[in-house]
Amino acid sequence: MFEKLSQFLIPLAGKLNNNRYLAVLRDAFMLAFPLTIFGSIFVVLTNLPFLNKLLSDDSVMTLQSSFAIASQATMGILSVFVVFGIGYYLSKSYDVEAVFGGVIALASFLILTPFAIEAESGEVVANVIPLDRLGAKGMFLGMITAFIAGEIYRKIVQRDITIKMPAGVPPAVAKSFAALLPALITLTVFLAVNVIVTLGFNTNLHDFIYDVIQAPLVGLGSGIIPTLIAVFFIQVLWFFGLHGQIIINSVMDPIWATLALENLEAFREKAELPNIVSKPFIEVFTVGMGGTGMTLAVVIAILWFMKSKQMKQVGKLGVGPGIFNVNEPIIFGLPIVMNPIVVIPWIIAPMVVTGFTYFTMATGIVPRPTGVTVPWTVPIGISGYLATNSFRGSLLQIVNLLIVFVIWFPFLKALDKTNVKKEREAENQNKAS
Amino acid sequence: MKRILLACSSGMSTSLLVTKMEQHAQSIGDVAKIWAVGQDKAKKEMADADVVLIGPQMSFLKGEFQKEASKYNIQVDVIDMMAYGLADGKKAYDQALSLIGNK
Repeated sequence: MFEKLSQFLIPLAGKLNNNRYLAVLRDAFMLAFPLTIFGSIFVVLTNLPFLNKLLSDDSVMTLQSSFAIASQATMGILSVFVVFGIGYYLSKSYDVEAVFGGVIALASFLILTPFAIEAESGEVVANVIPLDRLGAKGMFLGMITAFIAGEIYRKIVQRDITIKMPAGVPPAVAKSFAALLPALITLTVFLAVNVIVTLGFNTNLHDFIYDVIQAPLVGLGSGIIPTLIAVFFIQVLWFFGLHGQIIINSVMDPIWATLALENLEAFREKAELPNIVSKPFIEVFTVGMGGTGMTLAVVIAILWFMKSKQMKQVGKLGVGPGIFNVNEPIIFGLPIVMNPIVVIPWIIAPMVVTGFTYFTMATGIVPRPTGVTVPWTVPIGISGYLATNSFRGSLLQIVNLLIVFVIWFPFLKALDKTNVKKEREAENQNKAS
Repeated sequence: MKRILLACSSGMSTSLLVTKMEQHAQSIGDVAKIWAVGQDKAKKEMADADVVLIGPQMSFLKGEFQKEASKYNIQVDVIDMMAYGLADGKKAYDQALSLIGNK
């Protein structure tokens, strides 16, 4: 049965991984990654818990407001970088001049953005760009616009509707003239759309896409049931030896990233954090903690309580990488892949932990993730603190590790028994011969 | 000199195996260049390799990589799962050699 399922899953995983749009989306978010780390560092540093004991409340406020720009200029306007990245990588995937694809996508997005803010009093301030529309709120419109703009741009370039310069013109000049007509046509399309929407319907595409697509999708993704389903599929894919996150995350990342951004915006304004499920929720507390499937707990169980030599060796190999949340030695060495004895704890444990973590955050026992980006290789204990700005986050990680340990233990014992038996038989055979 | 390229999701999990393979190659007196990259860079780096081994978690990339590798007339294969998990440098190195030999 496993064989058959695997024959079905491998091509499917390949298709998802190689899908042009998903690959572009993944690369575009990676482009923003160093910037979000930069922003996150300063959010964490200016919110250290003992800061108000060292400094007066006023100085803490001054410190926070003077460093706030670090995250505002990066994560606060994340959509800008994602939009550019999509335009760039999409054009690159079609082998057309990529950097123009990037700026055309960005300009198209800005054309759809209202350059005015309506204050709560109803007063409209003109000639400003509302920052939230370049951040979490504009994320889905940005992604959609960037893909459409990139597609129009590359089609025109590929049809060769371009102005060609005679030989001898410097390449940079020739290239910008080559991009002229594709840029004009693409931007005109978006301008026309925007004029129709603003004049004809008296609204803007930002609000429309937010209400009709983003809010429902992101709302759905923040629920516990869809999250459990995502975790389930990550685990099942890994059970068949396929990289579950690369496949599932390429679909879920835009939603999880948007949820995290919403939290960060609220955290900066010292408002209540709206979301529990978010990128750090998944990576720091649940399925990514201690390596996919939370196997650091399994490594500890093996090293302390198991006797089989083969398992001990896997445990020793697994502990170093496991601290940094890398766990291929366990997945392929124990092995977990296609091993019917461990399939139950493998799939159940992260789902139980996901439910438990959700419960502790929903009841307020542990603070919700602040939305800062924590690199996935940061060890347990530290990452929990960074993600929630509270040591309760670290504590939760340790409790989660214990939960995984308890769920796995009887199954590991069974595996250990059969392994020890096999090893003894092999030894006896060696002695006999 | 044998040039062996390893590819996995981010180039991180295979780096342990690279060390073990290098140690094994040295111990038998072979001169080998062994390096690991993430899946996105693998296609570019193939030009400098005699063989490409991919981590078992990326097995679904084999077909696509082989297409690219055929341009350089080299072989692509998935690293034996247990050799990968136990960081068995000898087994993985032998696998690489047999693929270079079949070229």
